[in-house]
Amino acid sequence: MPVISFILLGSVVLLPAAALWALRWAASTGQFRCPDKVALLPFDESEPVGVATDQILGNRR
Amino acid sequence: MSYGPLLFLGILLTLASSWVGLVLMPHRQLGSLGQHTDPDTAAIFPAARAGEAQQGAEIYRSLGCVYCHTQQVRPEDYGSDLERGWGRRRTVSRDYIHDRTVMLGTMRTGPDLTNIGERQSDAAWHYRHLYNPQTTSPGSIMPPHAFLFETRAIGPAGRSTNALVLEGAFAPPAGREVVPTRRAVQLVAYLRSLKSSGDLPEAPVKKEEAAR
Amino acid sequence: MIHPSQTSKNPTLRALLPGDAGAGSGGDGFRKADLAEIDASCRVPVLFFFLSGLAWLIAGSLLALVASIKLHSPGFLAAWEWLVFSNVRTAHLNTVIYGFASQVSVGVSVWLMCRLCRIPLPAPGLVTVANLFYNLGVTVGVGGILLGDSTAIEWLEMPRYATPILFSSYALIAVWTIVTFRLRAERHLYVSQWYLLAAVLWFPWLYGTAQVMLLLEPVRGVVQAAVNWWFAHNVLGLWFTPIGLASIYYFIPKVIGRPIHSYYLSVLGFWSLALFYNWNGMHHLVGGPLPAWMITISIVASVMMLIPVITVAINHHFTMLGHFGKMRHSPTLRFIVFGAVSYTLASLQGIASALRSVSEVTHFTHHTIAHAHLGMYAFFSMVMFGAMYYILPRITQREWPCNGLISLHFWGVALGIVLYVVPMSLMGFIQGTKLNDPTIRFLDVVQFTLPWLQLRTLAGLLMVAGHVAFVANVGWLLVRMFEPYRKPVVRILTGEAETLAAGK
Repeated sequence: MPVISFILLGSVVLLPAAALWALRWAASTGQFRCPDKVALLPFDESEPVGVATDQILGNRR
Repeated sequence: MSYGPLLFLGILLTLASSWVGLVLMPHRQLGSLGQHTDPDTAAIFPAARAGEAQQGAEIYRSLGCVYCHTQQVRPEDYGSDLERGWGRRRTVSRDYIHDRTVMLGTMRTGPDLTNIGERQSDAAWHYRHLYNPQTTSPGSIMPPHAFLFETRAIGPAGRSTNALVLEGAFAPPAGREVVPTRRAVQLVAYLRSLKSSGDLPEAPVKKEEAAR
Repeated sequence: MIHPSQTSKNPTLRALLPGDAGAGSGGDGFRKADLAEIDASCRVPVLFFFLSGLAWLIAGSLLALVASIKLHSPGFLAAWEWLVFSNVRTAHLNTVIYGFASQVSVGVSVWLMCRLCRIPLPAPGLVTVANLFYNLGVTVGVGGILLGDSTAIEWLEMPRYATPILFSSYALIAVWTIVTFRLRAERHLYVSQWYLLAAVLWFPWLYGTAQVMLLLEPVRGVVQAAVNWWFAHNVLGLWFTPIGLASIYYFIPKVIGRPIHSYYLSVLGFWSLALFYNWNGMHHLVGGPLPAWMITISIVASVMMLIPVITVAINHHFTMLGHFGKMRHSPTLRFIVFGAVSYTLASLQGIASALRSVSEVTHFTHHTIAHAHLGMYAFFSMVMFGAMYYILPRITQREWPCNGLISLHFWGVALGIVLYVVPMSLMGFIQGTKLNDPTIRFLDVVQFTLPWLQLRTLAGLLMVAGHVAFVANVGWLLVRMFEPYRKPVVRILTGEAETLAAGK
């Protein structure tokens, strides 16, 4: 059997196994938990939530 | 989700899955397909291409014919490829094993060319058509490929044997003739070599079709 | 949440940060730079990517116009071989995909990454070198195509003497992104960063695999087609789409001042896209000479795309609910929302055309071309335009000189692309129906398409007009950079409309 077959069959078994393991590890260490405050990352003190930016059209005299 | 390693693993594994599934697996399944020898007639399909036709394939590639012409015949009851006479059977993976660049195509701005060598074997037709498609197919939107031809003065020995027979508005000025260049000759050799209708076990030609 | 280990880690990497940004502030990790500082640090590299991208956009749109005219008037410019239809069409695709869209998306991605990592742009030299390589690669590649060296492999037409240059540029960008990611001062990752990181890692892999298997050591037979469409579909799905979505996820909340509708949905959207999109490619080969299992698996994966598409649609459109009025005042929001809506439509159209019964009609027709433009232009390019409207004034610290040009740009390209995609989708469908009816002569089908193709040229003219307006405005903005610095700068103008008017 050519080498490529071993690589292929190996990957077919190993990849999903690795994926499952990674999924289990990630879930068990709480990595999928994301606090809602992460959604606030684009904002800061200078440009807080509730303030629109880029309102440049139709406001010029 | 704020974990870099998880992200990296996910990014890596997801693409790896289709890389194995859609790239390596087909390579394993189809990458070493060979020719098929008919047990009755000892004919070999698909036949390898001769030198000039093989060079013509490069011209076909370089001129980008693939952007308007497909080289694939869809199965029976799927589209009208067979009814239009574009082939006597669907094309299968084995039909393409000799192509250096496989040019299946994705557009049918022009008709399919899988079997053009069988459907139109007249070289003179191909030359006229390439020189200006309006000569053979009025209303076509294929660009004229006059740059594949040379318009020159007729020599003392008279008209060249390979000069194009052009009439009316398409005829060159008096005393001049249009002859194909080497590239045109190669391209037409390639077009005439396009035939994918050999009987294959995975794609038999229907018996009543073959009898025609 | 700060990992204490971060402060002691990577002294070499940290040296890449400009000024005092690399200095830890009392065990708290790196100092978070403020937005103006980050924007200023991005100025030169990001401008490089935007400006060269726009130059390619102009070249690409002119090529598109020529190709469009040639398709209904085949005698147009027919004497020159280097301008034969397929060359112009291919040069158009490669300039707008690699020259324009990819370059602008790298610019946007670099800026977004710095902003979300909250650090000034590290290693600007690396980004600038990547840009030089990039433009060299595209120039050589498109030149090669026009000279007849096209490989005739869709989306990979650049000859093999050009592609290693491009590849090294992608590799540099990937390395830069990883470095920036490691240096980030903000530990938490925003959804845009997942998409950006994924895109810059996926793309060199895709490109490298396709180059090796198609150009360097070509695989045999139809495996080429499989590799080709695995690559070509993933360029859209795993390179442009993630960068487009990352931008939408950032700019909609940023402009309207409201966080994304549901952060949890965005997790689902990202992972389902990562899982399903990369299996879609073989739906370009429905009915083709490949084993049925490959095509079927891609059709299934295409239908599964409903999950990320609907998830993202809910997230984007629900965030916008009640804020559509802000589109009147924000050029960024106009373009981004146009793009976000087009993403939903393009995805649904794509899923539908992957089905066997629909593909039987639409596969070899202009329907596919319309779909490609709905995705690449109405979605992706519009999002990139929107992003540039936000980024350019901030990195140059100058305001947009002319609002009229902004309107001209928006209405030109918006009307143009609608006039392109809607009729062409319909026409493609009718064309396919006619092609599937063997009693209709092929040449009659060709004749049927002609008026529609002329309409497309008209649509193209509108889009070119929009592009010229945009480039003129950008040029004017650059001229302003040489004028003395004048208040108010944009950062101050981020608040209420009145502040802005009063400041004038």
